[in-house]
Amino acid sequence: MRVKVWGARGSVPAPGPEMNRYGGNTSCVEVTLSDSETLILDAGTGIRTLGFALATGIANINILLTHLHLDHIQGLMFFPPCFRTDSRITIWGPASPEASLEHRVARYISAPLSPVEVRELPCDVSFRDTPPTEWEIGSARIRAESVTHRGPTLGYRVTDGDASLCYIPDHEPGLGTPLDNVEPEWLSGFGLARGADLLIHDCQYTDEEYPEHIGWGHSPLHDALTFARRTEVERLVLFHHDPLHTDDFLDGFHETALDRWEAVGGRSDRLELAAERTEVKVGSARELAAS
Amino acid sequence: MSDSSAHRPQKPLELILARNLLTSISTPAFLVDNRGLLLFYNEAAGALLGIPFEEAGRMEAQEWGTRFGPIGSDGEPIPFDQLPLVIALREGRPAHANLRIHSAAGEEHDIEVSALPISAEEISGAMAIFWPRHDDSPNGGGEE
Repeated sequence: MRVKVWGARGSVPAPGPEMNRYGGNTSCVEVTLSDSETLILDAGTGIRTLGFALATGIANINILLTHLHLDHIQGLMFFPPCFRTDSRITIWGPASPEASLEHRVARYISAPLSPVEVRELPCDVSFRDTPPTEWEIGSARIRAESVTHRGPTLGYRVTDGDASLCYIPDHEPGLGTPLDNVEPEWLSGFGLARGADLLIHDCQYTDEEYPEHIGWGHSPLHDALTFARRTEVERLVLFHHDPLHTDDFLDGFHETALDRWEAVGGRSDRLELAAERTEVKVGSARELAAS
Repeated sequence: MSDSSAHRPQKPLELILARNLLTSISTPAFLVDNRGLLLFYNEAAGALLGIPFEEAGRMEAQEWGTRFGPIGSDGEPIPFDQLPLVIALREGRPAHANLRIHSAAGEEHDIEVSALPISAEEISGAMAIFWPRHDDSPNGGGEE
């Protein structure tokens, strides 16, 4: 399984020369499965450039939305395969008692916010609520579970053979509870992440910034590292960078994260900050050694 | 035991958030799962019951339904199925009652109890909040 980041920014696109290295596009991650099928995690503005890079021969595309905040769906309307008649796109997302997934996404892809309506898209697009139990797409087994954020929000676990990826881009598991010693069964996202080969996790704030943002649905560095340590993941990618954090700031943040990570026994080569176009091969140690 | 070897399944998110809320408030409160198993009560409830949750631990429904002796104003035990939490779980609706309880320290407290079911796709549990009763209302026992 290969993972490529196309957008790692949180909240709002943050373009600009001081953002070029980590990138200004919002959440989007491409996952290429062992059978060559493609999954797309979230449809932030990063999905636009992903769409240009996708081979035109790919007909089936599955997009797994964690939630419907704008930074996770804003790129949908600019995703090139949406405008190809030979594309079959399935969009998965959280169920709601209020309205169907299609209806909720269509609030964005409709007038006056959009010149195009969902029904006008030339592709074959369908919307599906994520099932409560594990399901299969290509060679992968997918599991979605609700996690602590503002509004109905999912995290995903993608398992392909022995390789496992957990994606929780928007998550505040420490809201109202100390993560260091809460029992695992009471830890939001624990079951999804535990033992994963790769965890892509929210780390929007520094610990100093967090007190001004409690309850906004995002993690400070301490909680992201603690969550990764508690769930015993192999590798951690910190994600959903605050739009105010420049490349230089994130470089320093990375150093701080590495110091804290190593202080609790983590390996420095198992922690990184997400940056656009970064690719990670995900697999068990045995699989990677053999590859 | 490492975290990854823990064998209790993770709680539904709505129960995790409910527990976090109860931890953060000073009103005595209980949290049970959909089978009535007592999952948690907060520090304020511990003070009222005379024993902190960390010492009392989890309890089956029948145990917490009798351990603290909920009785009506007539001095008779309140039937288990008339306790607000039990009504909230079984009938999926809010319930309220005036009770007298015995604390582990041997004290008696007249309280009002409000319970409500917690549901997402289905009922996953219920929570109850207690208030010390300060009036002389004779409405003791059972649901109001």
